[in-house]
Amino acid sequence: MKSTLPVNRVLLVLVLLALASLWGLDYASVQPNRIVPGAGQSLMSALGWPWASVLTLLLVICACTPVRSSRALLYQLMIVVLLILQLPLSLGWFIERHIDPALPYARAGIGAGFWVLLFLLGLMLIEIKQRIRLHAGWSLVIWLLILAVILISVPWLEPLALMREYQTRSQQFAQALRSHLALVGGAVGFSLVSGFILALLLNRYPAARKSCFGVLSFIQTIPSLALFGLLIAPLSYLSANSPLLQQLNVRGIGWAPALLALIAYSLLPMVRNTFIALHEVSADVLESARGMGMSPRQVFMQVRLPLALPIIIEGVRITTIQAIGLTAVAALIGAGGFGTFIFQGLGQAAMDLILLGALPIIVLALLADAFFSAAADRFKPGVKG
Amino acid sequence: MIELINVSKRFGDATAVDDISLTIESGEFCVLVGTSGCGKSTTLRMINRLLPHSDGRIRIDGEEIYQIDEQKLRRRIGYAIQSTGLFPHWSVERNISVVPRLLGWPAAKIDARIRELLALLDLPYEEFAGKFPSQLSGGQAQRVGVARALAGDPDILLMDEPFGALDPITRESLQNELLRIQSQIHKTIVFVTHDMDEALKLATRIVVMDKGKIVQQDTPQQLLRHPASEFVESLLGGQERGLKQAGLLRSGDLMQLTDDMIDGDGPSLQATDSIRVALSLMLTHHCRSLPVLDQQGNQIGVLHLDQLLEPAP
Repeated sequence: MKSTLPVNRVLLVLVLLALASLWGLDYASVQPNRIVPGAGQSLMSALGWPWASVLTLLLVICACTPVRSSRALLYQLMIVVLLILQLPLSLGWFIERHIDPALPYARAGIGAGFWVLLFLLGLMLIEIKQRIRLHAGWSLVIWLLILAVILISVPWLEPLALMREYQTRSQQFAQALRSHLALVGGAVGFSLVSGFILALLLNRYPAARKSCFGVLSFIQTIPSLALFGLLIAPLSYLSANSPLLQQLNVRGIGWAPALLALIAYSLLPMVRNTFIALHEVSADVLESARGMGMSPRQVFMQVRLPLALPIIIEGVRITTIQAIGLTAVAALIGAGGFGTFIFQGLGQAAMDLILLGALPIIVLALLADAFFSAAADRFKPGVKG
Repeated sequence: MIELINVSKRFGDATAVDDISLTIESGEFCVLVGTSGCGKSTTLRMINRLLPHSDGRIRIDGEEIYQIDEQKLRRRIGYAIQSTGLFPHWSVERNISVVPRLLGWPAAKIDARIRELLALLDLPYEEFAGKFPSQLSGGQAQRVGVARALAGDPDILLMDEPFGALDPITRESLQNELLRIQSQIHKTIVFVTHDMDEALKLATRIVVMDKGKIVQQDTPQQLLRHPASEFVESLLGGQERGLKQAGLLRSGDLMQLTDDMIDGDGPSLQATDSIRVALSLMLTHHCRSLPVLDQQGNQIGVLHLDQLLEPAP
């Protein structure tokens, strides 16, 4: 008989990687000011041996817990959550130890070891959650707990380079959040409505399908930067010749070309998913709905649309995530959004400013993904499993 | 009563149904049989206007169907199909309630009707009402499909190969179920199948179709005795026709009433068993006569091999 390890092998590998990166890479760094490159600190020197050894011990326990019962999984889950919760606290502790409050320009950087640990802990959480039947309420509790700890540790984390960048730009940050959300919301909202109408038309006129998807796919192949750039000339021309457009602040650069390009990119996933969703509803189900005596309107509202809804929402999910990413590029033509920080940071070679733009984009994408996945699940027909 | 008078259906240049006339009396179990593409499903779907007919007249209880609002017409006619067409996003209960809701029945009446139908189809309410179609076996799903077709208490039931996708055992039990239900509710049933055995078992009248035309229509017995053409004969199984005929005769009708007891441990027949079963038992056990029992297991007669060869009554 093949002997099997009594431990979860995926977790074991992840823990080994985590240990290697924790001990092999810098956990954090100290910068005397914004310009001077930081001096990296290993785990031991960053957090001191008590914290470092507890961290190591927890990881080892997590990997070595035998997977016999669901209780063991629960312990592993608790350890991983604990490890995630300690992340912001450990940064606070690091600042306490290494940043002299007498030096107002000194700042703490986050090291590669920290990021890799965060990433691996995320993977561990996914791995454990797949095996454990966790009530949706508990997932929420975990997320709230993580959020609470981050909020609590914010005052400690002021000397963090990321926070320093944020503090000098908190107004711009709020503005960037607003314009990012407005662009994404506008593009997704508009393409949802027009995509739905287009999908209905394609359903009725099969002859138009090939050319319509051809055009939409072609747009998708244009590099986003090129499309943003290509729109500058025609919009400048239109704006110069129309007072109304000028009043709306439509110009060759800014929100208008960005929104147009985002809509153009959003149409393909939206139309494709909506069309397939409506088209794939079983012909037998539709025929029996007709055979029962439902009117065409009832067939659509009570049968076709509800059955298509999960795939339509899936389309909204893909489109939203794509738009959140593309909007970052739109900053190049002056459309605002978090991309502004990324390109400023690239220009100034300031890693933390890039992070200030990139992290919220990742968070937004993850939130959109979680929200629309849950919504699609909610509308899945029947009971799962 | 359903009347089809010189009805044709053309799809472009192809003629699917070619000038057929057919009258189905109320309470009849009429089975349309034929090979694929003979126009039997098309005929069925013209009755509830899922397909418009190209020519001729179709009347239900004397009324031309195109004069009735098509949705109202369909709500009056039960419809069950092979793939069940159950709505996957609705529970069994909700599925069955579709037509009563469309008819605007009050909630209490709908609820009572659902319970009545689930009981009729042998699906315990507590266990099945809340289930979704994906949680049902093929046979259960088809029972729900039949319940849904009956929900609005229609006079007419159209069934398009409803048992075609089921395994033989489930199919047989559902056929028996349908016969039992029909003996209680006396609907006018139009049933499409390509399986002649199913037709012989269920029908009070069989309509054989080929290439869009009606080749022969008769009772199962008459059809077996006098097939009108080689085509009908081949549908009836050619050389096995005798066995199919035997399948329609009951042991109880041919047996000899006698008090002579036959050894109780050997093979025996129920009075309701067909003589096809009797013949099979005789071949298996190498015997020339079998005891016939009633439902309580008491012997009421004896069936001899010689009696099987006598012309049917």
